[in-house]
Amino acid sequence: MENKKTILIIEDERSLREALRDKLTREGFSTLEAKNGEEGLDVALREHPELILLDIVMPVMDGMTMLKQLRENAWGKNVKIIILTNLSDIEKIADSVKNEVYDYLVKTDWKLEDVVTKVRERLGE
Amino acid sequence: MTSQTPETFYKSIFENMTDGLAYCQMIFDAQKNPVDWIYIKVNKNFEKLTGLKNAKGKKVSKLIPGISASNPELFKIYGQVSLTGKPERFETYVAPLSRWFLVSVFSPQKNFFVALFQNITDRKQIEKNLEDARIAAVNVLDDLFVEKSKVETAKAKEEAILMSIGDGLITTDEKGNTIFINKAAEKLLGIKNEEISGKSFFESTTIENEEGVAVPLEKRPIHMALATGTTTTTTTTTTTGPTYYYVRKDKTKFPAAITVTPVILSGKVIGAIGVFHDITKEREIDHAKSEFVSLASHQLRTPLTAIGWYVEMLQSGDAGVLNDKQNKYLSEIYTGNKRMVELVNALLNVSRIELGTFVVEPEPTDVVLLARSVVDEQKSQIEAKKLKLSEKYAKDLPLFNADPKLLRMVFQNLLSNAVKYTPKGGAIEFALWMVKGGESVDVQKADEDSIAVKVTDAGYGIPKKQQNQIFTKFFRADNVRKKDTEGTGLGLYIVKAIVDHSGSKIWFESVENKGAIFYVTLPLSGMKKKEGAKALI
Repeated sequence: MENKKTILIIEDERSLREALRDKLTREGFSTLEAKNGEEGLDVALREHPELILLDIVMPVMDGMTMLKQLRENAWGKNVKIIILTNLSDIEKIADSVKNEVYDYLVKTDWKLEDVVTKVRERLGE
Repeated sequence: MTSQTPETFYKSIFENMTDGLAYCQMIFDAQKNPVDWIYIKVNKNFEKLTGLKNAKGKKVSKLIPGISASNPELFKIYGQVSLTGKPERFETYVAPLSRWFLVSVFSPQKNFFVALFQNITDRKQIEKNLEDARIAAVNVLDDLFVEKSKVETAKAKEEAILMSIGDGLITTDEKGNTIFINKAAEKLLGIKNEEISGKSFFESTTIENEEGVAVPLEKRPIHMALATGTTTTTTTTTTTGPTYYYVRKDKTKFPAAITVTPVILSGKVIGAIGVFHDITKEREIDHAKSEFVSLASHQLRTPLTAIGWYVEMLQSGDAGVLNDKQNKYLSEIYTGNKRMVELVNALLNVSRIELGTFVVEPEPTDVVLLARSVVDEQKSQIEAKKLKLSEKYAKDLPLFNADPKLLRMVFQNLLSNAVKYTPKGGAIEFALWMVKGGESVDVQKADEDSIAVKVTDAGYGIPKKQQNQIFTKFFRADNVRKKDTEGTGLGLYIVKAIVDHSGSKIWFESVENKGAIFYVTLPLSGMKKKEGAKALI
């Protein structure tokens, strides 16, 4: 494959997931999708994306649980994560990940193009 | 003793005996009723005891007028004795003489009687006094008994109340040694009164904080109340102040709301009374409420995000080139969407405010810097409306202990209102300065050294009739409703809540169509730290 960076989108709302996918693809990224934390963990550990866009409130396994488990993995410990949620509660975050370095974006406050900018920023482009 | 004749002997007895003696003849009427008597002979003491002189030969009806009315029993008894010969002995009160007599009467021969009597008035008085005293004593005893019963009843009542109040009650002496804990406390703490009475309450019980760390002595509510002499309250709701947990004997714990009041006698703290109850239920309800608010906002935001992002992609041309009309309509959709987002954010804050679950996290803040950055955000709007903004910040404002997020919201709301409601070309002023305690700011006096904030606009103003509603939820005055349909009506409500929760003051002056001036005083003692579950967004 070309030097396209892969972004894993973990989001349970189909319409939002597809909007992100379409935009990121248009912007030149390769994308992967998952509908919940469990699927997302699976895909992440298998495909090793460059960056993960992670929603919090999801069925089966929520974002925080997935994050915790991901960080226990040797590769997962270092993968870049942007939390993309509509919860405005930083308190939702488990203590174990409180010192994480990640971005926390509230979806309603962020335009798609700004999300893309953030993604590029995190990837060091 | 010289020999004497029997007559002399009896005469001397007669004359010297201490009793009064009267030898009388009874007089009967035609119906044989005793109606009178004649004193044939009386001894010396007769006069002494009765006060009657020269009784000899006189009828009693003449000697003691009214005697037959006052003492009919005398006639009856004497009559009977003088007829039957049966002696009698009795006490009687002779009213005309005002004396009590003990009388012994016998009859030496028919129709005659001899009455021997003693004046027992004194004895009678003594007896009466004794009786009165006895009655009085009995009354006193009765009263005492009643009072004792009352006291005992009251005491029993109090004990019953104390025992049965649902809250745990602890009383200690001035050193914090337990005097008494009630049943509820025993149950809640899992210990018995007898086990801890007399011992230090702090050693008998443990309090932990949220993290499971034992609370040190200085922070224990009873200790604080005893030390400061003021009422100490921990969490009374679940969202203000730290949550303390009592650890039971079996190591399980429960969150408690504790209030301790010191007992002060003649200016000295002599003990403390603590009341506490288990707030597990309240906390659960509060958590459920916050969860609900969070979840509700999350649910509301998801479709709003979808609308926003898809409109954005359309307007970027991602799905094809748009004509002007299409672009315009999409812009309208986008604007509408943005308003909804703002409304949801505002509602979320309002819910947090009403639940009291928001944090105030003060840190030393440069208020001028904050003000400038807020002004910056409004720059494009100000330029678009060609408004004349003047910033008047005092030179040496000290760092102010504020939660910068909350203070920013206050400044933002006030400034954006000024910008929004001032027509094109109007003037706005944003001023910050220091005031000393006691100094006046407009019509108010600063209670302590404070930073004063003043936002002035030359806009539509607030009609006098509606000024008292300006800080209420969803309120927008009629005049601006006519001009501007945007605005949640929640901005000032949120500002007031922040101001109220952080110990500051806000007020305003306004004349319709002339403009408005909003004042805020921020006491330099800073915003009070307030722990809670959520930050306002």
